[in-house]
Amino acid sequence: MENLLQQLLNGITWGSIYALVALGYTMVYGVLKLINFAHGEVYMVGAMTGYYAAHALGLTQAPSLGALVLVLLISMAACALLGALIERVAYRPLRAAGRLAPLITAIGVSLLLQNAGQLVFGADPKFFPALLRSEEVIRAGGVAVSNIQLTVLVTALVLMAGLQYVVRRTRFGRAMRAVSYDAPAAALMGVPVDRVILGTFVLGSMLAAAAGILVGLSNPKIDPLMGLMPGLKAFVAAVLGGIGSVPGAMVGGLLLGVIETFVTAYLSSTYRDAIAFVILVVILLLRPTGLFGAPQTEKV
Amino acid sequence: MRARSLLWLGVAIAFLVFLDVAAPRLLNPYYVTILSRIGIAVIAAVSLQLVNGFTGQFSIGHAGFMAIGAYASAALSVFAGAAVLAAAAQVVPLPVARLAYFPVALVFGGLVAAVAGIVVAVPALRLRGDYLAIATLGAGEIIRIAILNIDAVGGARGFSLASPEYPSIDLRYESLAGVFGVALIAIAAISRLVYAGGGLAFRAVREDETAAESIGIATTRVKVEAFLIASFFAGVAGALFAHSEGYIHTNTFGFVRSFELVAFVVLGGLGSLSGAILAAATLTALPEVLRGLGEWRMVLYSLLLIATMLLRPQGLLGQRELWPISRLKGGGG
Amino acid sequence: MSLLEIRGLCVRFGGLTAVSRVDLDVEEGALVALIGPNGAGKTTAFNVITGVYAPSEGSVRFAGREIGGVAPHTICSLGVARTFQNIRLFRSLSALENVRAALQGAKRSGTGDMLRLAGWRRREAAAETEARALLDELALGSFASARADSLPYGEQRRLEIARALATRPKLLLLDEPAAGMNPAEKQALRELVRRLRADRGLTIVLIDHDVSFVMNLSDRVAVLDHGEKIADGAPEVVRRDPHVIEAYLGSDGEAPA
Repeated sequence: MENLLQQLLNGITWGSIYALVALGYTMVYGVLKLINFAHGEVYMVGAMTGYYAAHALGLTQAPSLGALVLVLLISMAACALLGALIERVAYRPLRAAGRLAPLITAIGVSLLLQNAGQLVFGADPKFFPALLRSEEVIRAGGVAVSNIQLTVLVTALVLMAGLQYVVRRTRFGRAMRAVSYDAPAAALMGVPVDRVILGTFVLGSMLAAAAGILVGLSNPKIDPLMGLMPGLKAFVAAVLGGIGSVPGAMVGGLLLGVIETFVTAYLSSTYRDAIAFVILVVILLLRPTGLFGAPQTEKV
Repeated sequence: MRARSLLWLGVAIAFLVFLDVAAPRLLNPYYVTILSRIGIAVIAAVSLQLVNGFTGQFSIGHAGFMAIGAYASAALSVFAGAAVLAAAAQVVPLPVARLAYFPVALVFGGLVAAVAGIVVAVPALRLRGDYLAIATLGAGEIIRIAILNIDAVGGARGFSLASPEYPSIDLRYESLAGVFGVALIAIAAISRLVYAGGGLAFRAVREDETAAESIGIATTRVKVEAFLIASFFAGVAGALFAHSEGYIHTNTFGFVRSFELVAFVVLGGLGSLSGAILAAATLTALPEVLRGLGEWRMVLYSLLLIATMLLRPQGLLGQRELWPISRLKGGGG
Repeated sequence: MSLLEIRGLCVRFGGLTAVSRVDLDVEEGALVALIGPNGAGKTTAFNVITGVYAPSEGSVRFAGREIGGVAPHTICSLGVARTFQNIRLFRSLSALENVRAALQGAKRSGTGDMLRLAGWRRREAAAETEARALLDELALGSFASARADSLPYGEQRRLEIARALATRPKLLLLDEPAAGMNPAEKQALRELVRRLRADRGLTIVLIDHDVSFVMNLSDRVAVLDHGEKIADGAPEVVRRDPHVIEAYLGSDGEAPA
């Protein structure tokens, strides 16, 4: 029983990281109907930026919560810029070009960031500095929660709550939702669509950056290709929850994390990466619009 | 057969013989390898063009079918082919036996890949647009990971084309004639298919599925057919790759390879066989020729892809064809 | 027995009822007009007949056979062809290719095309000749090699009709064929429709907004409003029907001319 709960905890921890990245995919798809393949690489840049920032600021030898927060903020700012840059340069010119060209461009940007990353950061893995000293904090009913896990969970929760607030309670959030329902109508109503889309990218990228830092904390080995698999899996999580749906991405991410952890622990670990894709195929066959999505019909 | 077709066939055979005989003598082995890789890339690209360019279905997991063809044919060779060749070598000279065997291995790889193609296509093609794309991506990844977990074909260590029981039998097949022969067959088959009157069905599905249905075209069947033929040729390309390299690993068949194939098709022009051929050949040769650039190759590659979509989204040739394929396309479009 | 028999047809999309308890008979060789204000359910009815939607309730019989819920391409092979309200040509294909694509339909053979067995060339040539003849018949011969989306608007509508005719239908459904045309073009279209019916013995059902366009053309007029049939009879009778007048008055304030 304890093992079950432990695995559940691990699953939720991983799941919350997937959720953070999935949110970026889902928000961009909501406003642009575009699968931003480059999003996984933003997550990677987040981790890398954190690494370099920590070293530059001499925080590697002085682990503390404050250090973590500082690194998080720097990384989120850097990735916000990156996300905005990508949107402005690669996607905005293709706004009217149909669905295919932006998709291909997204793939191109993803490849570019991976390979440029290998050039700039070096292809060898680096070790993310321990910004928090790892210690076991709680032992309840046989389940061990480390402070790092707790930090990951709390940070992810805070960020997701923050996002929910933005989406539901702010003008920007309303504008974002309007654009995702009907962009032309929103434009006619005076919503600054370009700025909303830019803002969406910025928000999503900030969350991805945070995810990168949190992963750096819990799994210190980072490299320029680290965004590939988690990126794809987070995308699957977004589809699972219903692509375009913010709560869907959160639920999808948590679900994927839990399923992956359980299958790996109790069935087979060699198929770990395949699980996400099997879920993807199953969901696409049974309910392509995902758990929270609404079915769409084509007008003939 | 008409006289003109016979002439073409004659030219093709002469060209292939020349390749096999002269090229290894005139070029250093490194360039022979590049030529071989070009041929294989061309086969894979034209097969994908059938699905993406002509039928308008966005498949981005095509490398998975190459993987299946590679591994299936390699397994056949290692676990059965070597024995067969050893036995046959008692009766006929080994080179003759090899020449008779390898087409079998290639076709086998293609057929297994084709079966996989149907398994993927029938459920996946119920989806459209982005959803289909990610379904194919998922399928490609599932295939890769599944193969990675089969220990009998090497798993994470990769698979060598050498039979432990018959170590003296060379299972490799490094014939340029073979590679380019298959390439010519693939190009001829697909261009004939697509540019026949009935082949308009593919492009009709691409242009407007609802309208295509309204004129009697069974769109799902057409899409599955495209997938089937494409995965067959991708499988053969994979089989050729396995037998010319002598060693395969699933890392070669990941989604980066799938994206590469998509890049060939898009940069050449979605809907142009000539474009896919040119792009596949150029982009396969270029990184080798520019080897001095090292890691910058892939960066330049991706920049090229982005720049093309921003500046010239129709790719190099759009939907146009170059001679001799343009003759097949004929007038009226 | 009518060629097309619709009984109690209901079509619902979630909470919205687009078509409600519609009965319609179309005899062989007849020319029936289906009119009604915007959103009345006319195109939805066409979509059910051609298999794009399945009926929520009711039956649709063509030549005695139930076709409700049957796949569109099968319905086409049974002899039903249509044009679309928003013109759905194969835009990057030429006019000739658009028609040619409709000629073979389900009978094509991929292997036959790849291998070019006996008679292939002859069959291809025959099909091309037939396609050209059809284009000529509809005064589109000079556009044969032009991209479909480069044709002038009226020609595009005619091309869609040509493509539908290539499937050798018994029943032809025309969805707003006169939309966006000027009076001269409408007159030409009217002549074309009459000719098609006379020369080919086609049965035609035609949707249009322009009531005067259909009045001189059709044997019978059926009127839909909010998914229900509110009138069905000879044009002169329907034109004076108070329910019909109210339906149009209610939507755009003009009695049908």
